Amino acid sequence: MQENNHIIELKYLTKYYKGSNVPAIDNISLNINKGEIYGLLGPNGAGKTTTISILCGLFGPTSGNVFIDGMEYQHSAEKIKNIIGVVPQDIALYPSLTAKENLTFFGHMYGLKGKHLKTRIEECLELFGLEKNANRRIKTFSGGMKRRINLIAGILHKPKIIYLDEPTVGVDVQSRNVILDHLRSINKEGTTIIYTSHYMEEAENFCSRVAIIDKGNILTEGKPKDLVNSKEEYIDLESIFLNITGRALRDE
Amino acid sequence: MQRLLSSIYKELLVLIRDKAGLAILFIMPLVLILIMTVIQDATFRTVKEVNISMILVNNDKDSLGEAISEGLYASEFFQIVEEIDEKEITEEMAKELVAKGDYKLGIIIPERATDAIRGNVNALINKSFKSFNIAGVKKRTKKSTIDVTIFIDPATSQSFKNMVMSSLKEFTSQLEIEMFFKNFSEALTQLMPDQKPIKFESFETIKYKEVYASTTNDEILPNSVQHNVPAWTMFAMFFIVLPLAGNIIKERDDGSAFRLKTMPGSFITVMFSKIFVFLSVSFLQFILMLLVGVYIMPTLGLPQLEIGPHKIALGVMAIASGLAATGYGVAIGTIATTHEQAATFGAVSIIIFAALGGIWVPVYVMPHAVKIISQFSPLHWGLNGFYDIFLRGGDLWVIAAEAGKLLIFFALMLFIAIVYNNYNKTK
Ligand SMILES: Nc1ncnc2c1ncn2[C@@H]1O[C@H](COP(=O)(O)OP(=O)(O)O)[C@@H](O)[C@H]1O
Ligand SMILES: [Mg+2]
Repeated sequence: MQENNHIIELKYLTKYYKGSNVPAIDNISLNINKGEIYGLLGPNGAGKTTTISILCGLFGPTSGNVFIDGMEYQHSAEKIKNIIGVVPQDIALYPSLTAKENLTFFGHMYGLKGKHLKTRIEECLELFGLEKNANRRIKTFSGGMKRRINLIAGILHKPKIIYLDEPTVGVDVQSRNVILDHLRSINKEGTTIIYTSHYMEEAENFCSRVAIIDKGNILTEGKPKDLVNSKEEYIDLESIFLNITGRALRDE
Repeated sequence: MQRLLSSIYKELLVLIRDKAGLAILFIMPLVLILIMTVIQDATFRTVKEVNISMILVNNDKDSLGEAISEGLYASEFFQIVEEIDEKEITEEMAKELVAKGDYKLGIIIPERATDAIRGNVNALINKSFKSFNIAGVKKRTKKSTIDVTIFIDPATSQSFKNMVMSSLKEFTSQLEIEMFFKNFSEALTQLMPDQKPIKFESFETIKYKEVYASTTNDEILPNSVQHNVPAWTMFAMFFIVLPLAGNIIKERDDGSAFRLKTMPGSFITVMFSKIFVFLSVSFLQFILMLLVGVYIMPTLGLPQLEIGPHKIALGVMAIASGLAATGYGVAIGTIATTHEQAATFGAVSIIIFAALGGIWVPVYVMPHAVKIISQFSPLHWGLNGFYDIFLRGGDLWVIAAEAGKLLIFFALMLFIAIVYNNYNKTK
C-alpha cells in the first residue's frame, strides 16, 4: 500500500480506557522506518505501554489506525503476529517452569523447532550469562534474571519487528549493557526495534529516533542529536522534557 | 501440531508442579467418596438393624390383611408383635401400648376391610357394565371407606410416618387393582360367553404387570455404592473448575496470557490444550473412582459397584461430564478477575449444583419445586446418566439425552468464554 520506508504507521491514535474520560493516548501520529531503533520516552503514565499494547494487537484503539508492514489487525492479525516479537514491561513467564522449559514452549509457539530452537536457546542463555541457570525454575530467579529471560522469550525467533516495553528497568548496569549491545546487533541484522523507556540518557545513545510523550501527547519527535541541538537551553533529552513540561521526568 | 503438543506438555508440567491443585484433583475425591459411602452405608444399616418394634392387629383375616402383614414381615424393618401372652392384641390395647412408648407403631386393619374393597371394585365394574345388565354382579352404589388405623409414637420422625403411610396405601391400591382385574375379567366372560378364556388371561397378566411395575419404582433405587460413586465422581470432576480457573487466572496474572495473545494462533491452541489436559484429568479421576467402587469398597464391607455391560456408554458419560466441567472452568477462569473470586464462586456454585443435582440427597425425595430446579443442574444430568448405566443397564441410546445436555452445556460455556474474551479486548 505504502511506497515509503515506513514499517509502522500510527494515524491519529486515541485510546480511552473503559470508564475513563481522560485519554491514555491522545491523537498520536507517528511513522517508524524499517531498521530503526525507535524510542518512546516519557514518565510513568505517559501512555507508552498503551501505545505498545495497541501496536502488538492486544486491544484496538478507540479511534485511529495502525499499519504494520502495511497491514492492519482487523484484517491480518495472524500475519502481523508472525513478524513481531514482544518483550512486555511486566515479566510474562511461567514461574513453575524452568528457564529452558519456558523458552522451549514460547519458541514452539513461534513456530521454531527441534535442534534449531535448542541451539538458539543455548546461544541466547549464554549471551545473557544464564546458561548455568537453564534448568532452574523461574520463580527462584532474581528480578534481573527474570527480566533477561523475559527478553529472550520475545526475541528468540528473530522477528522483523521487536517491541520492548522498558526492558532495562531493574537491571544492573552490566546486564543493561549486555542487553543493549545484543539489541544493537539484532538491529544490524535488519530488525526494527520499538523501545520504551523513562531513562533518557540511555535512549539518547541507543535510539535512532525518539518521541517524547507526556499525558498521551507527543511533546517532540526526531533524532536525539537534532532535538538536543534544536535549542540553546537543551543539554540533553531530559532537559527537553523539563523545559517543555516544567516537571522533572524521574519520579524514582 | 508442534504448537499443540508443546502446549499440552506445558500444561502438564504446570499441573504436575501445582501440588495443591493435584490434591484437589485426586486426593479430595478419594477421601470424599470413601467417607461419604461409609457414612451413608452405616446409617442405612442402623435403620435395618434397629428393628423397629410394632404391633399388628389384623381383624380382617382376608386378602388385604394378609398382603399388609406379608409386606411388613418381608421388609425386615420391623419386629412385629401380634399377640401378647398368647392373646391377640385388641385395638384398645394397641393404642395404649404405643402411647406408653413400648412400641413405635401400631397398625389396625379393621374387620371386613377386604370385603369393603371388593364391594368398591364391584361397584365400579357394575357402573361400567350398567347398560349390559349382567346377572351375578351385585348392585351396590355406596362406596365404603376402609379405615386402617395407625398409631404412631409421637416421637418418631415425619419421614418415617410418611414412609409407613405410603407403603400401606400401596398395599391397599395394589389389592384393589388385583381384584379389579379379577372381577372385571369375570364380568367380561359373562358378557361374551363365546370368547375363549385364554384371551382374557393374557390380557389380564399384561395389564396387571404394567401397573405393578409402575407402583414399585423403588425397586431400582440405588444402594449406597451405586449412588455415591457416580455422585462424588461428578462432584470431583466439577471441582476441576478450581484448578482450571486458577490456571487461567494465574496465566493472566503472570503475564504469559498477554504474551500468548501477541503470538500467532496461540489463544485457541492454549485453550484447546487446557481443555484436553483437564479432560484427561477428569477421565483419570473417573477411572480412579470406579476402581475404588469395584475393588476398595468391598474390602470395607460395602457392596461392590456393578459397572454393567455398556462400557462405551460409560466412557461417553465420563467424557461428556468431564467436558461440561472443563467448559465451566474455562468460563469461570475467563470471567473472574481474581483467584478469590473464581474459588469462591466456583466452589459455591458447584455445591449448589451438587445439592440440587442430588449428590447428597437424591432428587426423588426432594419437594416438587426443587425437583424442577434440579433439571438445570449439570451434576444432575451426569448422575442420571450414571444411574441409567449402573442401575438400569442403559446403553448409548439411553444416556444420549443426558450426555447431550452436558455437551450443550460445554459448548455454551466455551461460547460465553469466547464472547467475553472478545468483549474484553474492546475495553
Ligand atoms: N487498564 C487500564 N485501565 C484504565 N486506565 C489505564 C489502564 N492502563 C493504563 N491506564 C492509564 O492510562 C495512562 C497511560 O498508562 P500507560 O500506557 O501504562 O503509561 P506508561 O506505560 O507510559 O507508564 C495512565 O494514566 C494509566 O493510569
Ligand atoms: Mg508502561
